Amino acid sequence: MDFAWLLQSLLNGLSIGSVYAVFALGYTLVFSILGIINFAHGAVFTLGAYLTYALAVGHFGINGLLADWTMPVTLPFVPALILGALLSGLAGMAVERLAFKPLRKRGADPLLALVSSLGVALIVVNLIQYLVGAEIYSFPADIFGDLPMAVIFKIGGKPVAVRTIQIILFGASLVMLAGLGWFIGRTRGGKALRATAENADTASLLGISVNRFILGTFFISGLLGGLSGTLIGVSFGVAGPYFGVSYGLKGLAVIVLGGLGSIPGAVLGGLVIGLGEAFLPSDMSSYKEAVAFVLLFAILLIRPQGLLGGRLEQKV
Amino acid sequence: MKRIVIALALVLCAAQPALADKVAAPIPIGIAVAQTSNVALFGQEQVNGAKLAEERLNAAGGVNGTKIALVFQDTAGDEAGAVNAFQNLLNRDKVVAIIGPTLSQQAFAANPIADRAKTPVVGPSNTAKGIPEIGEFVGRISAPMTQVAPNSLKQAMKIKPDLKRVAVLYAQNDAFSSSETTTFQDAIKELGLETVTVQKFQTTDTDFTTQVTAVLGANADLVVISGLAADSGNLVKQLRQLGYKGLIVGGNGLNSPNMFPVCGALCNDVLVAQAYSPGAVDKNPVNKDFAAAFEAAYKKGPAQFSAQAYAAVQVVVEALAKIEKETGKKIADFELADLRAALNKSLRTGTYLTPMGEISMAPSGEVQQKDFYVSKIVMNPDGKTGAFVLVSE
Repeated sequence: MDFAWLLQSLLNGLSIGSVYAVFALGYTLVFSILGIINFAHGAVFTLGAYLTYALAVGHFGINGLLADWTMPVTLPFVPALILGALLSGLAGMAVERLAFKPLRKRGADPLLALVSSLGVALIVVNLIQYLVGAEIYSFPADIFGDLPMAVIFKIGGKPVAVRTIQIILFGASLVMLAGLGWFIGRTRGGKALRATAENADTASLLGISVNRFILGTFFISGLLGGLSGTLIGVSFGVAGPYFGVSYGLKGLAVIVLGGLGSIPGAVLGGLVIGLGEAFLPSDMSSYKEAVAFVLLFAILLIRPQGLLGGRLEQKV
Repeated sequence: MKRIVIALALVLCAAQPALADKVAAPIPIGIAVAQTSNVALFGQEQVNGAKLAEERLNAAGGVNGTKIALVFQDTAGDEAGAVNAFQNLLNRDKVVAIIGPTLSQQAFAANPIADRAKTPVVGPSNTAKGIPEIGEFVGRISAPMTQVAPNSLKQAMKIKPDLKRVAVLYAQNDAFSSSETTTFQDAIKELGLETVTVQKFQTTDTDFTTQVTAVLGANADLVVISGLAADSGNLVKQLRQLGYKGLIVGGNGLNSPNMFPVCGALCNDVLVAQAYSPGAVDKNPVNKDFAAAFEAAYKKGPAQFSAQAYAAVQVVVEALAKIEKETGKKIADFELADLRAALNKSLRTGTYLTPMGEISMAPSGEVQQKDFYVSKIVMNPDGKTGAFVLVSE
């Protein structure tokens, strides 16, 4: 157990965990308002990465419908990231209109919405493959201009290496989390959102347009999903239409771990799982995907409501 | 009692073989590769190679004037998908042979079905140990790693004679990569090098921070990777970004232009042992011809997966032509079952001049390939495209 390894793992975990947190927040927001899981969230995550790639690089490979098609204009990375995230927000709204609202209007069982959102997810993923094929798209190495690729320093003679992108990941996630915290805690819109989450019927009696707020929530959720997709895409490559699937599952683990519907819980859960993965001994690291769920079960045994979840009400 | 008799009669009827099928024209050849799922990356390349073969071989007259028709069935990325695709091709499409599936682990699940149906399977990309042993009707034209892998290590030692410490990384959820890494590790021992760390990952992984950190900590001067193009490309990228400066040797999965967009300029100098090299055209007019046609059709150089899929179709067509020549009977006049059996024998006789050079199939179904290649990746200044440049002939 040397200090360099400890620090290295801590930095790795914080960086990836912060992205998990941003992604899981999108789940949590929708859950806190509607009380259902939006299974299309992973697909919006994937979509966000592809949208940003289209805006920033503007050209896809040799397979799929868009094989030889080139965007007339490309944007610098940061505007592309923001626009990609906004478009993902719109995609989130479309998911609500397609998969959730019609069922809500009919007063259908919330379980059905789970199935319909899964359907939307599959359609989106297959549509992406139909359009741009299955290959991996990597953002060009010079996407951040002349920044060095990594910061490498030695501690006690052992190297500690952090990729620049990991630092950017962490920074962008912090900004996003802070922004969201401010919006929910300090603005009228955020208050109304919390009221709607608390009790939709009462909120609508108080003159809050619940449907509009649900739509707004899906927008923010999609924005967070798309943004985290882009961040992961820049870090590791946009790994094919299916790359959101495992993140989607991990996001679920994060919110259950943190406490369903709890916003700080999602952040904490993301960091816990990110750190859990990072501190896994390196020869076990291929089992990383299982870590999230092992942690989840371990914590649920001790705290059934999740780390920061509200008390479970006893129904008598 | 009467009912039982009727039931028995029905059972007996059902047990009768259906009326013998004739071979359809154009001659149906099954292509069962992964067109969806995360394996589609390779499946796409195989489809491209196979389609090009169909087009060109038919333009050249097919089987002595009879056209062939490729029947594509998507296997997706798992065993169940491969099994379904095989069953459709065998029973519904009545193909004379199946080319596929994409992954070795799919082959272990699906090939026995074709073997029971006495229909030849030609593996276009299965390189794991034990594939030809699946059955009498199973063969492959993709050389197993045991023949290919050690060449690249020898090349690395030529480049850097003082090599000593090797880090081995492999994708443990992929049958092919796991079998390839044992080949590599044996070769490392035999060449007198020392394995300082063995790191595993999953083909679906994108974050290799932990593994790379371990490699850097182990102070290796050679890294050997067995994985697929996407994950390995990412791994190479992260190795280089985090400051690894030594040599990198890649297995068969890295032998694909799909690497290039993933690690960009950082792919430079990765050494790969190849069963196919788009650059080896001097001694092989067939390859020159194929590479040019592929470039014209798809605007990029052919990957090994495309070349091997092309070769698989070519081998089947040439074997069919041989049957006509030897029996003096047109393919269309054969019963399907007889033709399948005859084709299985015919595949295993003679040699074929393919884009990979001269190959033949042993009676066991194992491929025998004459030439292997070691290339290194050289990226273009745009950082997106590149080529495998031959370093050894």
